[in-house]
Amino acid sequence: MRKSTLFLASMAAMVMMQTAQAADMSKVLRTAVRYPETGFDPAKVDDLYSQMILENVLDPLVSYDYLAKPAKLIPNTVDALPTISADGKVYTFKIKPGTYFSDDPAFGGKKRELVAEDYVYSFKRFLDPTINSPYSFLLDGRLVGMDEVVKAAGKGPLNYDTPVEGIKAIDKYTLRLTLKNTNHNMMQILAMPVFGAVAREVIEAYKSNTNAHPVGTGPYVLKEWKPGNKIVLEASPSYRKVVFNSQPGKDAVDAEIVKALKGKTLPIVGRIEMSVIEEEQPLWLSFANKQLDYVGVQQAVMSEVLNINPQNPTEATLSDKYAKQGIRLHRLKKMETNYYFFNMDDPQVGGSSKEKIALRRAIAMGFPNLETIATIRRGQAVPANYIVPEGVAGHNPDFRAGVKYDLAAANALLDRFGYKVGADGFRTQPNGQPLVITMGSGTGAIDKQWNEYWQKEFDALKIKLGYQHGKWNELLKASREGKLQMWGSSWFADYPDGENFMQLLYGKNSGDSNGARFKDPEYDRLFEASLKLPDGPERNKLYDEMNKIVVAQQPWIFTDTRITNTVTQPNVKGFKPHALLNAPWRYLDVQ
Amino acid sequence: MLAYVLRRLWQMVPTLFGVMLLVFILFNVVGGDPSYILAGKGLSDELLASIRSQLGLDKSLLEQFWLFVKQVLTLDFGHSWTTQMPINEVLANRIGPSVMLSGSMLVLDTLISIALAALTAYWRGGLTDRLVTIICTSAMSISVLVYIIVGQYWLGYKFHWFPIQGWGNGWWENMLVYIPLPMLLGLMVSLAPNVRFYRSGFLEEMGQDYVRTARAKGLSERVVVMKHVMRNALIPIVTSIMMSLPYLIIGALLLETFFSIPGMGREVVVAVDKSDFPMIKAVTIYVAIATMVFNLLADIVYKWIDPRVELR
Repeated sequence: MRKSTLFLASMAAMVMMQTAQAADMSKVLRTAVRYPETGFDPAKVDDLYSQMILENVLDPLVSYDYLAKPAKLIPNTVDALPTISADGKVYTFKIKPGTYFSDDPAFGGKKRELVAEDYVYSFKRFLDPTINSPYSFLLDGRLVGMDEVVKAAGKGPLNYDTPVEGIKAIDKYTLRLTLKNTNHNMMQILAMPVFGAVAREVIEAYKSNTNAHPVGTGPYVLKEWKPGNKIVLEASPSYRKVVFNSQPGKDAVDAEIVKALKGKTLPIVGRIEMSVIEEEQPLWLSFANKQLDYVGVQQAVMSEVLNINPQNPTEATLSDKYAKQGIRLHRLKKMETNYYFFNMDDPQVGGSSKEKIALRRAIAMGFPNLETIATIRRGQAVPANYIVPEGVAGHNPDFRAGVKYDLAAANALLDRFGYKVGADGFRTQPNGQPLVITMGSGTGAIDKQWNEYWQKEFDALKIKLGYQHGKWNELLKASREGKLQMWGSSWFADYPDGENFMQLLYGKNSGDSNGARFKDPEYDRLFEASLKLPDGPERNKLYDEMNKIVVAQQPWIFTDTRITNTVTQPNVKGFKPHALLNAPWRYLDVQ
Repeated sequence: MLAYVLRRLWQMVPTLFGVMLLVFILFNVVGGDPSYILAGKGLSDELLASIRSQLGLDKSLLEQFWLFVKQVLTLDFGHSWTTQMPINEVLANRIGPSVMLSGSMLVLDTLISIALAALTAYWRGGLTDRLVTIICTSAMSISVLVYIIVGQYWLGYKFHWFPIQGWGNGWWENMLVYIPLPMLLGLMVSLAPNVRFYRSGFLEEMGQDYVRTARAKGLSERVVVMKHVMRNALIPIVTSIMMSLPYLIIGALLLETFFSIPGMGREVVVAVDKSDFPMIKAVTIYVAIATMVFNLLADIVYKWIDPRVELR
């Protein structure tokens, strides 16, 4: 009797789950990326390609609206955005009942509901000393009572059963986070794909290799994984009913997307196939051959695929050959700032004396930024003129931090501040010592291209330039130890808030994210003051002041922010590039 | 023979130890610090120290080397530092596609190059010989990258004779659908030097006294070449093949990368790039073992081909 009841109950559950399955399993979306993923344990990975998968398998508490610009947070596994205490330190989330994990043997054949405790466990994992999460810095020192638990763990595993005031399940569906200090970015941090919920049973069942067994409450499940070659996702039968209800924004494509998707249950496509195709030619040919539904346009084929306006290279349309086929082009500025930094602790290029500032300014003036954008970037970038890039809260489009290119003025500046040209044709320091600047450089073809421009500039400035070639991690180590004089760097938004960028020059981050080792008391004071403020005019004023300090001191040479170009086949509906949703597969339809 | 084999096996031990020592020293001098990759954006002292501790990099060099010795003895190299996948599982998944591509290339290359070398040697100085020599010289002068780019574009994209890239789930599917184009392009490069090398071997043998004797006995040229010359010319051919076999494990990087074949080639490059020492150790040791084993096999095959060869 009990057996039959159980059987009927499980059958009923299966029927319920099947009816929840909205995706058309005959529809397949095929895409490809150029670099291999690392794995799918959210606490262990930080690469974009792994996160594309996590974005579709796991569910963070909050996410972003697909169409809204600027990015707008929306509830995901919660009924509504959290209630936040007046002091901005306590966040209370109410999780939607009836949200289920995808089936997995670890659940012993039962349906497993998402509860507040799952987020408690998932967040604690980022601070587990045995995991060494690359994203631990986002939670480290921020949650009340967590530091003590981490300290108690020492080098061993965290005791997940120790109650922590800062991460607490009040009841089955209520999660409360208590911060030590007000943090206006907490919600954006929690919207990152890696902060999706995992189930403790799953992690413990597959503890020998958690990277290979992502199980979440998201719209897709990992069906097949050939590391570094192919990843297949299938729509999860357990996924809750989610109906597309985004409102159209200002973009022309929005109305079309709303018309196509309004009222549709997500996800639409039953199967996602993501291949890793590392070389540009086969990637593009596979798309041109209709073996892929959408891909990013790579540098090698830009001239063939895009009509770039020679007067304004940032203006680009699809070339007639592809436009006639119904292929569509989608463009998006990345939320990034690219720059070269000077080591401010270095006796030759660092320091805040007038002649050192003059040297850095002259090098900045001599750098042909527009030329490198036109050639190396194929015009698909805009000059960076503010620490915070466009699209990120706190950006000021009217600020001009970049230095105007002027070689003659750069040479005159060096002459004026005592950098005399010696008998060998190269400049010396004002004290008569030789002046040789060494730049960190990778060993790839792209590094060689950048180095050619630098060499040309330094020759024109009559400054000896050397290179310290190495692998990325070797250069990073050298930079952290203050052994590099100059190096190029790039920062992509972890979350769309200016603080994520302004901290790049905060003194206390020197040698960490602050590669320039810039330590300016006024900048630090303003940065600390800005942390207490939400996004708004008051904080923006502080950001402007901080940018002015950077312009005056020149620890950075601002370079650019890249534009991504993505193409979709005519049968792909609903695609729109989103700066923070890297794989919006649940919104796409293939006809 | 058994004593010889046992002696050779015993000699492998110090050789392997030397390889281990060299790899270990090289990694510690120029290998790079993996903790900087694994730490992501947060480079706190505590996190870097914790990662190093977890990887065992905070132990003394002697302890680290002893761990390496134990790994070699058990042939268990632990987990990849980058992906945390078990090394042996990664190798098991990656070696197959590499061997399928490189192995089928080697088999075809050997058969075709021996046949062409025999033909050109047989008709030395004739039109066939000249034609093959010219083609070989031309083929050798072109980079494999050019073959790949041109071949992929024309044969894959324009003519649709082969898929542009990809890898399937079944052995037959891969051998019949995905392997042919990269194999064909790989052969364009590897065939030519082998044909020329083997032809030289055949010609050298054909100038020997025993060939003149065989001809004097009235044997046909075909019998002289196929039976007498071929046997003796096989020695350098066997050497060449045996030397190629260990490298089947490493795969063909360019072909694998351009055709999205999930082989070892790319894995090795990524391991070096990311300072993934367990992977580097495993690949080096397996290749070293394979090289020594195939060297031994080559000597045994020499003996089998020519009983006059003495094994010492």
